[in-house]
Amino acid sequence: MIPPLTVAENLFLGRQPLARWGTIDWQTMTQTAQEELHKLGFDLNVQLPLEQYSLGTQQVVEVLRAILSGARVLVMDEPTSALSPAEVEGLIALVHTLREQGRSIIYISHFLEEVVRVADRITVLRNGDKVATVSREEATMDSLIAMILGREMTRAKEPLDTTRTYEQTLLQVNRLTADVFSDITFSVGRGEVVGIYGAIGAGHFDVARAIFGLYQFDSGEVILDEDPFPPDFSTRYAIRRGLAYVTESRRKSLLMDEAIFRNITMPHLERIGRLVPRREDELAVATPTIPRVNVQPPDPLNPVGKLSGGNQQKVAIARWLAFPPKVFVASEPTRGMDVGAKSEVLAILRRLRDEGYGVLVIASEPETILAVADRVIVMSRGHIVSEMNNENLDKDSLMRLL
Amino acid sequence: MNSTFETPSASLLARLRRLRTSGRLRRLTTLAQVWTLVVLFIFFGLAAPNFLTPRNLENILRQISTLAIFGTGMTFVLLLAEIDLSIAANAAVTAMISAHLYTNLEYPEPIPMIAALGTATLLGLISGISSARFRIPSFMTTLAVSLIAGGLTTYISKGRVITKISPWAAFLGSGRIGGEGGFPVIVVVAVITLVIGYFVLRYTRFGRYVYMTGASKTAARLAGVNTNRVLIMVLTICGFTAGLAGVVSMGRLHSAQPDAAPGFLIDTIGAVVLGGTSLMGGRGGMIQTVIGLLIYGTLRNGLDNIPQIDIYLKEFITGVVLLVALMVNTVFAGKAERDRTL
Repeated sequence: MIPPLTVAENLFLGRQPLARWGTIDWQTMTQTAQEELHKLGFDLNVQLPLEQYSLGTQQVVEVLRAILSGARVLVMDEPTSALSPAEVEGLIALVHTLREQGRSIIYISHFLEEVVRVADRITVLRNGDKVATVSREEATMDSLIAMILGREMTRAKEPLDTTRTYEQTLLQVNRLTADVFSDITFSVGRGEVVGIYGAIGAGHFDVARAIFGLYQFDSGEVILDEDPFPPDFSTRYAIRRGLAYVTESRRKSLLMDEAIFRNITMPHLERIGRLVPRREDELAVATPTIPRVNVQPPDPLNPVGKLSGGNQQKVAIARWLAFPPKVFVASEPTRGMDVGAKSEVLAILRRLRDEGYGVLVIASEPETILAVADRVIVMSRGHIVSEMNNENLDKDSLMRLL
Repeated sequence: MNSTFETPSASLLARLRRLRTSGRLRRLTTLAQVWTLVVLFIFFGLAAPNFLTPRNLENILRQISTLAIFGTGMTFVLLLAEIDLSIAANAAVTAMISAHLYTNLEYPEPIPMIAALGTATLLGLISGISSARFRIPSFMTTLAVSLIAGGLTTYISKGRVITKISPWAAFLGSGRIGGEGGFPVIVVVAVITLVIGYFVLRYTRFGRYVYMTGASKTAARLAGVNTNRVLIMVLTICGFTAGLAGVVSMGRLHSAQPDAAPGFLIDTIGAVVLGGTSLMGGRGGMIQTVIGLLIYGTLRNGLDNIPQIDIYLKEFITGVVLLVALMVNTVFAGKAERDRTL
């Protein structure tokens, strides 16, 4: 898909209808695009650039392009990973429509719930091997998880200690306001995991970026351990004061070609050697952090690109343990991971809490928040709509708040 | 310097060292660039009778010295996935300012030298600030700065060549250590520049920031690196080396020209990229630049030394060999680490 081109152009990419002189027949293209979309129940202005529509709509247009090009078999690879719940519903409805039209669909996803809803037959792969193919009737979430993990799994969720009190506030955010969020006030205490849940586009990721000096906000303040940040503080400032940020994209935050220890020392070179950081010192700083998050294999000289996604995420966390911060901010800490890696990463976050750090987890997957947070904040359209302790909460109650 | 950190285990340190030396050796021998250089050297050694004489080898070094000074700054810039199109014009204005101050206005050294190098550095700083603060691609800012520098040269020179230059510039460009028959100073200047560049890139925090920012700007920013400042510093460094190259080149030619030599820009980028520094940033370094310079120098000089070649065909042949060498390099580099994405 090419976002700056119009919806119609994207639908006809590579097979534009031609007029007599071999030029593009814009009228036919626009009309056909409009009609075909209408037939499938979508009314978009096909002359607008694709990028003006939401990610969910873009995804739908991509599917429709495949259909319009006459595809009988459609392979959808993680089609919903970037979509909000409402958009997911739209896409699943589309998949059902297509199935009724007699098309075949291979739906690749790590969202088990979707798989169970969408598929007639389910094939489970583990480490590049096929484990089994079962029909939908035979499949339950638990049996799928067991197949994925290769062992019977006990539920990941541990009982929460709701009697904790947080005497010391580590991170205080007051009335933070920017273009995509406004009036965001919350706090994170020592030894507490606070989860911010919202759909994609709710602005919660930008709040995290703003706290870390990566997104300019118009007003409000960030106070870390009673130390107010100056306006327009830099990322370097935030790091030095004791903030750690694990981003939603490991690819963006790590250097895949570089060794693990080099990735760990990236934010700390100033503290290792002001002008000339010695490699031996870097190694000395990085090596002890690796077993603390259980990176496999634990070789500090291994390039990060050779690790699995879960282990890369552990490196992204380990990087901040080299010079312990006060508060961890983690965006989508479990995105795109298999069930095993997920529970391992969440366990690390819980352990950090128990060691007395403050932890802020920001996610669009309610499971992540419910599994790890002591207190849950729900954001919708740039505002905090709810804040509560994580007691008797479930996915439904969270998603209803959006 | 005493380390304040605990020492990592001896076995790990030993492996790190082994990885570093064996890795470097392996990289050098598998590097297609090295073989290109060897092949060219053997070829010209056999084909051109005068190629391997000490006098000619010294010639090659002197010929690539100016490029080496340009190339040091350009390596920083390319590692950042940026470009500096202003180096040739920058060098020309630097030389002209030095010659004008010394000859026409009769300022004694070091004033012309300081003013000249100061101007060069300032021009780099201007490119850097306008690229970083206003987020204009360096391709455009340095193009504009190139026009500014060219305009200044024309204005100062009024289109005339200045043939009297300061003894400092003459010493740097065509002096010899130990008088007549000694080692050329220009080569020493080039080597010192390259060595400083190597040290800064490989051992300093700033050098690491250059690689980090070049490999992934986002990752560098997330690690708290002020990538804007890195960009400004890199373009400033490139401005300074361009100025130094301008002064040295003036000393070699014993005149300040009113026009930039356009060959400098193309030759510099050509040599650095030929050495294996990626235009996409993050990969390469000063060693690669040295190899690239040697290939370039060997090729140019070798073609001069084969009497059978029509001199009017030289440029053409250089271009063809360059293209082939670049393709060979990419094929070999691709073999080592193939991208499996379709």
